[in-house]
Amino acid sequence: MEVTSANRKCPAVTGSSRKIKDNAADWHNLMLRWEKLNEDGFTAAENITAITLTRSQSNERLLLDDPPSPPSARSLQPPLSEQPGGAAELQEECCKLQDVVHKMVAVVTKMERLMTSQRGVQDLEEFHFGPEGRNVPLFYSWSTKHFNEACGFLLASFQQELRLKQMILQEVGHTATSDLCMVYLSCWLQQPFLPPQTRLTLEALLLETGDPQDTLEALLLETGHRPL
Amino acid sequence: MSNPALISLHQALKKGFQSLENNQKVWTSVLADCSPLMVSLGNLAEQSRALSNVQISNTPLRDFPDLEERLRFKLLQATDTVLGKLNEKMSSLQSVRDSISNQVFAVFQHYEQNTDSLDLLTVTERSATAPSVSDMLEWLQDAERHYRQQFLRRKTLLQTLRADDFSLLELAPKRWKSWDSPSAEDHIKDTLCKVSFFIMSQ
Amino acid sequence: MSLRLLSVDPSDRGSQRCRLGPGLMSALGLSLGSPLLVSVPGGSCLCTAWPRPDLAEGFLLMDLKCSSPSLISHPPTHLNLDPGQLTPVPCPKLKAVKITVVVQSVDFKKHTPLRLVHELVKDMLKGVYVHEKNVINLEDFDTEIKYVVIESVNLDSASAGFITSKTGVEITGIQTVRHYMSQLQDQHTVPLGGLEEVSTSLREILQLPLLYPGTLSSLGVSCPRGVLLVGPPGVGKTLLVRRVVREVGASLVVVRGPEVVGSRPGESEEKLRAVFERARSAAEEGPCVLFLDELDSLCPKRTGSSAPENRLVAQLLTLMDGMNQSDRFLIVGATNRPDSLDPALRRPGRFDREVFIGAPTLQQRKAILSVLCARMPVCPSVDMAELAQRTTGYVGADLSALCREAAMQAIRENSKSLGEQALGMKHFQEALKAVRPSCLRSSLGRTELASMSWEQIGGLEEVKLKLRQSIEWPMLYPEAFVRLGLCRPRGVLLYGPPGCAKTTLVKAAASSSHCAFLSVGGADLYSPYVGDSEKAFAQLFRQARACAPCILFLDEIDSLIGSRSNSQTPNSVQTRLLSVLLNEMDGIGLKTLERRGTEKILQAEGVEENRKQETLDFQEVCNKDVMVVAATNRPDCLDNALLRPGRLDHIIYVPPPDQQARLCILKVCTESMPVGADVCLEELAAKTEFYSGADLENLCKEAALLALQEENMEASIIKHTYFLRALSKMSPSLTAQQIQTYQKPPR
Repeated sequence: MEVTSANRKCPAVTGSSRKIKDNAADWHNLMLRWEKLNEDGFTAAENITAITLTRSQSNERLLLDDPPSPPSARSLQPPLSEQPGGAAELQEECCKLQDVVHKMVAVVTKMERLMTSQRGVQDLEEFHFGPEGRNVPLFYSWSTKHFNEACGFLLASFQQELRLKQMILQEVGHTATSDLCMVYLSCWLQQPFLPPQTRLTLEALLLETGDPQDTLEALLLETGHRPL
Repeated sequence: MSNPALISLHQALKKGFQSLENNQKVWTSVLADCSPLMVSLGNLAEQSRALSNVQISNTPLRDFPDLEERLRFKLLQATDTVLGKLNEKMSSLQSVRDSISNQVFAVFQHYEQNTDSLDLLTVTERSATAPSVSDMLEWLQDAERHYRQQFLRRKTLLQTLRADDFSLLELAPKRWKSWDSPSAEDHIKDTLCKVSFFIMSQ
Repeated sequence: MSLRLLSVDPSDRGSQRCRLGPGLMSALGLSLGSPLLVSVPGGSCLCTAWPRPDLAEGFLLMDLKCSSPSLISHPPTHLNLDPGQLTPVPCPKLKAVKITVVVQSVDFKKHTPLRLVHELVKDMLKGVYVHEKNVINLEDFDTEIKYVVIESVNLDSASAGFITSKTGVEITGIQTVRHYMSQLQDQHTVPLGGLEEVSTSLREILQLPLLYPGTLSSLGVSCPRGVLLVGPPGVGKTLLVRRVVREVGASLVVVRGPEVVGSRPGESEEKLRAVFERARSAAEEGPCVLFLDELDSLCPKRTGSSAPENRLVAQLLTLMDGMNQSDRFLIVGATNRPDSLDPALRRPGRFDREVFIGAPTLQQRKAILSVLCARMPVCPSVDMAELAQRTTGYVGADLSALCREAAMQAIRENSKSLGEQALGMKHFQEALKAVRPSCLRSSLGRTELASMSWEQIGGLEEVKLKLRQSIEWPMLYPEAFVRLGLCRPRGVLLYGPPGCAKTTLVKAAASSSHCAFLSVGGADLYSPYVGDSEKAFAQLFRQARACAPCILFLDEIDSLIGSRSNSQTPNSVQTRLLSVLLNEMDGIGLKTLERRGTEKILQAEGVEENRKQETLDFQEVCNKDVMVVAATNRPDCLDNALLRPGRLDHIIYVPPPDQQARLCILKVCTESMPVGADVCLEELAAKTEFYSGADLENLCKEAALLALQEENMEASIIKHTYFLRALSKMSPSLTAQQIQTYQKPPR
């Protein structure tokens, strides 16, 4: 369920507050989209590592004539292809992953745009009320500056995370050691640059701008996130 | 069947078996909920171990300065979450276990209080519809012991896990699974079958 | 009516149930689940009584949930019990119990909070009937908590009770299974014979730092860290350590050298470190001894630059140096080749003390034999002292093999007749033939000595007497020698013309004095490698000393050992062997390595002791040496230094047989021959001037052959004429001139 301005119950808000509220909703939607992309990307990355690992193992086996040892990463067991030369498959999965990262780039670009509009709102406010901003908060307690900081934090986190994803995209297909593969996958899944604060910030943003009841419902819907 | 002590003991036994039947279902479902959690616990341990094995500064990831710290934090957090959920499940298991235990102890106590009027011949007498009192008490005790063992094993495992001992964490799902003994569960189901006539009688 | 004890049904495991017939249950006044104490040999077991599902009588199946500690390692099986061994016990609900928890691993003990252990144990014990001092088996829970020892229950009257959820459980300590089991095993100790002195000293070394670390540190002394046990194989080094460690009450971590050595680089070091870690963790629970058996294989001398052993030695050194004062464990190493150890290991601070265990002396052998035979049905007629005398050179392992072999002999003999199985002296005698001393094994001069008596040698009465004086008497009657202040000869030289029974005489002497006998000739010692012969010769002496009293017989000593005066090449092998011989014969003393027993000093005690014991003492004191007996027919070739007193000091001339002697020899030779009635041995004796003993033997042989030749295999007796014809064909091997040369003494 998407939180949009259309299904808001109080249409009274206008001007800066309206803009900020819409921005917050957009943040929420973009982050949901990110999560969805992250899951898709993880599936692709998992497949890629599975293919490369089986491949390198079979190469090793040919070289050393050793009995195959089970890969230490059990969750990396190839779910689809057992044959070593799954080059086409690998290509396909890499494309999928690339696609996901492209979409993530688009998400982050949108986030940047949100940031710009947020900054615009602040500039406007400053223009209206001077550098101190307005005396009465737009919603409950936050000043426009506060909104700005929150968005900045979110944007920085996602930008960094995106860089990490891009790095993983480049490297994951070329890594033969199972431990490193595992670390890449783990990075992808756990998203180290999106600490719990990002989520808290978003929640705060939504709580500040919206009807509490509404927001909670929206948040509860997405808490069941998938464990690896 | 005119012995009033025997009749009341039979009532108690019936109650005991009914409670066992209900609790057994709860137990199985709770235990089923635990399996995916254990799997994720193992996966998280595996990720943590991989992270420890890899020297980040020797990989392309060295461009991200505090990546290792952040990732480790995330992993610990996720492990914590899973363990928290498992602990919730354990407390449901404990309440099932406690309920069974109390019921069985109560039935046995009922018997012990009436041993004077229940001689060995009476309690070992079997009929077409009802197993002997001795058999039934024994089955109840067996079931109680089974659930107690199961619970304590799993509890010990979970309580002795340490976030820094990856091998223990990695082995945990395997050990957890190794204790699933379908034969023992079947045995309890068998027992419940054997007493089904008895429960339904009257 | 007796009850057969059967093994418990798997479904009852952990239930504390004891299944018996309902009849017996009623007879004992038991209702379902009543507590019942079952006494079995070695302990008792507290159970709850339940009827068998088939209600059959006469059987007993019990689950050892709560039993005496001894039943854990040795569960009762195949027993028939009397109903009297079952006693119903009242088990009131307990208010509180004190327990010790036994857990599987040290890790668990270290990392698990006491609160959790308490919680788990309390849950596990709920509904269990317990008896004071008994052990509750919790293995069925399949956790790290294996046993619980009930230290005390708070009841005045009863020692058994029932644990409910309201019972207070107090944990007095946590131990590991390994530690607990090693404590349990204390009860059965193996007796050790003949090593009292060494074991006392070893115990002292172990006890001080392990049990009284405070005392040592208050004196400002650092504890010794290592003890090195040195001794030939089979003397009981390993057994000694196990025994003493057990006596001291320490736990033991055993490592056999080769076990630690792995093939991967670094693997051995890793294993060694793990072993030390194990000892350290064991030491946390109480004193501990780390025993490195076969240390020489683990730490050979460091050679070259990068041998893998070097790294292992270095690792051991580092580990030993890294031991803290607080590490309450000691290292005991054992080796039979101390010389091949790396010298760095043998300095104080590492292996501080060295304890030597030699091949057992006579007394020690007697002690060992009595220990070994203590559990065997031995006839009272078997004389341990005599057996000890007969077993020179046997080490503990040999003696144990001897007893086993004797027992086997008895079994073989009795298996047919099913008689009583007692070991008699004859079994030991048979066994003596089969089991040879291991310190003589692979020795150069080891000879199978066919038993030979003096009577088998004709004539030479005077020589025989002299030989007896110098060889047999000191061995058999040492007290007389001591009484008269006589010291025994160090060496005997027999010289005389060839073929006059010198070798045979020595053999007879050896077999009559029951001592070990080593014999070498030149060919045994020669080797193409420089220095090899000398080494072999010295080794020979070492072995001879290890199994003293011993006769070392050097036949044809002239060929073996040269003389310095008339040798063409002053540095030949012979001269070098000579110097070895001189050295060994009056060397300053034994090497430390060869020490055996402790020095005993003879003292005249007023009390009339056991006569036999005294004799043994004398023998032990006087017969520590090797008697060298040499034989030659060219005494002139010997180096003078060899012949002076203190070396080959008894010089006995074995003359060619005179007429009387020749007659005796001929009698001995013809004993087994069917000689014609006309044969006149006296005549032959008269006619065989200058014939040696060997010649005479040959003569008889020739005569017999001649008889066969003449009478075509049908000859049944040898006639006189054949002797005469044989005589006419032969010529004596000795000449008057030759004999003349022997007449003047060689010195």
